[in-house]
Amino acid sequence: MATLSSAQWRSYSTNSFPPSSSNGRQNNHRLLSLSSPVLRKSPPAVFCLQQSQGNSRPNVVLMEDGAVVTPVNPAQKKEAAIQKLEDGLLSSSSISTEELKEAAGFDVNENESSVSITVVGASGDLAKKKIFPALFALYYEGCLPKHFTVFGYARSKMTDAELRNMVSKTLTCRIDQRENCGEKMDQFLKRCFYHSGQYDSQEHFEALDKKLKEHEGGRESNRLFYLSIPPNIFIDAVKCASSSASAASGWTRVIVEKPFGRDSESSAALTKALKQYLTEDQIFRIDHYLGKELVENLSVLRFSNLIFEPLWSRQYIRNVQLIFSEDFGTEGRGGYFDNYGIIRDIMQNHLLQILALFAMETPVSLDAEDIRNEKSHTRGGVTHPGYTDDKTVPKDSVTPTFAAAALFIDNARWDGVPFLMKAGKALHNRSAEIRVQFRHVPGNLYNRNIGTDLDQATNELVIRVQPDEAIYLKINNKVPGLGMRLDRSNLNLLYSTRYSKEIPDAYERLLLDAIEGERRLFIRSDELDAAWSLFTPVLKELEEKRTIPEYYPYGSRGPVGAHYLAARYKVRWGDLGMEE
Amino acid sequence: MTFTTHFSHCSTSCNDNSKLFSSSSRSSPAIHYRFSGSRRLCRYRINSANGNPLKALPSLPISESAADYDYDDNVETGDSHSTLSITVVGASGDLAKKKIFPALFALYYEDWLPQNFRVFGYARTKMTDEELRNMISRTLTCRVDKREDCEQKMNNFLGRCFYQAGQYSSEEHFAELDTKLKEKEGGKSSNRLFYLSIPPNIFVDVVRCASLRASSATGWTRVIVEKPFGRDSESSAELTKCLKQYLTEEQIFRIDHYLGKELVENLSVLRFSNRVFEPLWSRDYIRNVQLIFSEDFGTEGRGGYFDNYGIIRDIMQNHLLQILTLFAMETPVSLDAEDIRNEKVKVLRSMKTLQLEDVTLGQYKGFSKGGKLYPGYTDDPTVPKDSITPTFAAAALFINNARWDGVPFLMKAGKALHTKRAEIRVQFRHVPGNLYKRNFGTDLDKATNELVLRVQPDEAIYLKINNKVPGLGMRLDRSDLNLLYKARYNSREIPDAYERLLLDAIEGERRLFIRSDELDAAWALFSPMLKELEEKRIVPELYPYGSRGPVGAHYLAAKHDVRWGDLSGDDS
Repeated sequence: MATLSSAQWRSYSTNSFPPSSSNGRQNNHRLLSLSSPVLRKSPPAVFCLQQSQGNSRPNVVLMEDGAVVTPVNPAQKKEAAIQKLEDGLLSSSSISTEELKEAAGFDVNENESSVSITVVGASGDLAKKKIFPALFALYYEGCLPKHFTVFGYARSKMTDAELRNMVSKTLTCRIDQRENCGEKMDQFLKRCFYHSGQYDSQEHFEALDKKLKEHEGGRESNRLFYLSIPPNIFIDAVKCASSSASAASGWTRVIVEKPFGRDSESSAALTKALKQYLTEDQIFRIDHYLGKELVENLSVLRFSNLIFEPLWSRQYIRNVQLIFSEDFGTEGRGGYFDNYGIIRDIMQNHLLQILALFAMETPVSLDAEDIRNEKSHTRGGVTHPGYTDDKTVPKDSVTPTFAAAALFIDNARWDGVPFLMKAGKALHNRSAEIRVQFRHVPGNLYNRNIGTDLDQATNELVIRVQPDEAIYLKINNKVPGLGMRLDRSNLNLLYSTRYSKEIPDAYERLLLDAIEGERRLFIRSDELDAAWSLFTPVLKELEEKRTIPEYYPYGSRGPVGAHYLAARYKVRWGDLGMEE
Repeated sequence: MTFTTHFSHCSTSCNDNSKLFSSSSRSSPAIHYRFSGSRRLCRYRINSANGNPLKALPSLPISESAADYDYDDNVETGDSHSTLSITVVGASGDLAKKKIFPALFALYYEDWLPQNFRVFGYARTKMTDEELRNMISRTLTCRVDKREDCEQKMNNFLGRCFYQAGQYSSEEHFAELDTKLKEKEGGKSSNRLFYLSIPPNIFVDVVRCASLRASSATGWTRVIVEKPFGRDSESSAELTKCLKQYLTEEQIFRIDHYLGKELVENLSVLRFSNRVFEPLWSRDYIRNVQLIFSEDFGTEGRGGYFDNYGIIRDIMQNHLLQILTLFAMETPVSLDAEDIRNEKVKVLRSMKTLQLEDVTLGQYKGFSKGGKLYPGYTDDPTVPKDSITPTFAAAALFINNARWDGVPFLMKAGKALHTKRAEIRVQFRHVPGNLYKRNFGTDLDKATNELVLRVQPDEAIYLKINNKVPGLGMRLDRSDLNLLYKARYNSREIPDAYERLLLDAIEGERRLFIRSDELDAAWALFSPMLKELEEKRIVPELYPYGSRGPVGAHYLAAKHDVRWGDLSGDDS
């Protein structure tokens, strides 16, 4: 297998951008602040976020036949050199040198450098259920560098042994590689340590730093902090980690999880505060939906299959549906949730991210910055029609646990195509999927065989993100037999039948990417700003007016209001059709 | 079937008997039921061919409601005044025994035939009705999913079968047949269908006698003929001319049983009722199209007939070419037979006449494997020892129109190969500026999309797409978006092509039959090349029995920048 585009270097230079980029920043700002329905009428704008290119860095992932990623950790020094190159002009000879190194699959410095992963908030649920198991899985598959250590950091007093004991309870081995599991587990646990301290204490972080240094043993050190803590202590922890526990010789990166604020202002404030202590390229905002296998596959489907390329526009696509549902309620997590609601919890981040990936133009390359530029570009064009409906909530709270929304992208590709989102808790099933409904066949010769409901006879592409990953395309087909009757059949790809390999958890992919400095699946500050500016006005209005959500029974298909919203845009929810 | 006629007929008069066969109970588009309100739905049968409950219609109990009105109702009211007599000329032959009688029984079993129908066998052999019935009964089978009453139905069917012995060129004997037919018709309005299951050299004699002596006086008379329709442009034109002395174009039903295959029928549905395929169907996206036919056995005793024709005439010029025209035609004005056939003729007439260099030939030779000897073609006792008749051929065809200019249509047909299959493969172009180029390695041909329609065996449609291999990192592979008929339509058997075609002939639906001008155009493409082959006595490349065919096929494909999809390794 070839390496993943080392040609990406070239894409950093400004002149490789398409000519349409001349619109630039000004325009962009104007549109991003738009929120009222009036704005839908504004002319489609073309954006290009050139100003953010300075942050771009190389991302190299080497692959082997066994689908194992060989991690390459470019050291900070190397990066600095690269940065210089970017600032100046890239000479082709330097590219090929880099390529050679990358192709060789190792770096001379690699054996000398170490990675320390500190999980801040190590005693929390997410850490136990997701982060430690993901780290173990990466270790198990040989994806972590040779010298790595995992540190737990939290307020509780605990010994290393206690941490290991706690961690060990949630580790599992891949089904397809059970051998040596126990042994590997022990080896992994031996590299886990614990440090207890307050989240806002410089002193305690200094103590952590000392401990880290000890384990790094004079090697070049790279440090990754995973903040698995409540948002109100983000800044404190970042401040302390940055000023007292940053790596002296390698990179220091910080992974933060949602919520990233609760509206434009608070998000901007959080970003500003983070940037006091960190540069943009140190911040890794995680959206674990972007680590899902089928979300990753979305770009592959679009850009490596000729048959989909001509279809990906308003000319053929009637509407796009992004659907998320959980079959359980808040059940204990209500305190956090009630303050945010389903729109902030699911739509503004997960679904909007998927939408942006779905709708973006072809990026210049697969490089992170090119992809994130295209995503921002898409997002910049989305305007909200000023209408969200259907919310339901327990008791006296008016926090929605269900929401449906229609979004539009005012650009040449998507003008007039409704992007419908739907997210809810305590519904009849658990699923996350993308549905693409295609237009009717003009002058369909078989109209008579289809009856009056032509909506039943359009093609639909379904990408099921979870559970049971699958891709299927609904096509009209003749029912075998004499006579001529049509029905919709599926062209199917069910992952469980095609791929025997276990699909890695989203956190594994994202942790690995953060270690490797691959930013494709993380959210850039300007992306976040744009995402909030879409939703903030509506969210504000909802709260000011204390709009009461519609009720729906636990375990139902959600409030009927969602159907009316869809009907308004001539859409029929694909997941609630009779066929599903 | 013309849907226009069909529907208007139904909505206006349910008891109109005169058009019985031209607008009968075929094609029941059940979706229609839901929205027809109070309109009386007279003729739609849902019980038989479409027994599979359709997901497209989940909200209404279609099957029950359908059963309520249509079951046999039309037979009582609609069919009692007219009769249908189907005469199988050449009743003692193989095709008749293996295909025609079983297909007729299947149609009867599933209630597609009108109430007053009779089946007559006609051949030179002396036989009684009883002997005929005995002979037929051995090859009749019942549908797997509906075994009940099988025995009884079989007996009912056999009770309607009769035999008449006679010479094929004797008007007198056909006059006797006519007497017998009249007797059974009992003075009712009569429609007569003759199925000529006889060698081509007596086609015209039989048609003359049947037409002159045994035509229906009160209803229609139709004649089904099977290939070969001549062996080149001249002989085909001659045959057509002779047939037309006695029959009008509307009476001639030239059968190509490949057109009755489920997936060939579905080809138009796929193309014209799916928005996702429509924009792809041209030279802009399609790199090449492959039409592949292979059998895993040789002539084995049937060599006498075959040797005179060869694989090109036997398979390519008719079956594969027919599929090609259906694949490539422009959107017809409607689904009416004449509209579709007009478009097919246009394709044929836009095609480049085949040249010698567009073709590669092969002939299988003996091969011994595991102690078993597989005989070569010339080992067949019915084949001359020095025969150079091709048992394998590959050809590249081109359509010089706006849609297909430059797109190679490759055909491949052979006997005694390693598999038995018939399929259509559509290979799409490369993705321009593919972002994932580096993930594919050097062989970009492996990274293009491909649509495969497998006609037989195991009917299936699948679309090869590039997909990310699940896991960390970024590796791509080709996966299939699949529709395996066995899995989707599991409970029912797909009807034999002969059932569909017989029913169409009975109903006067000509869509799947070949019109005279189509046949002329098809021959015009192949005749010059066939002549040259014979004049120059071009020797075919030998290939072992059970192999993948001569390598020459790969060179022919390479010349046009094509790689055979069936031999590419990831598809066995």
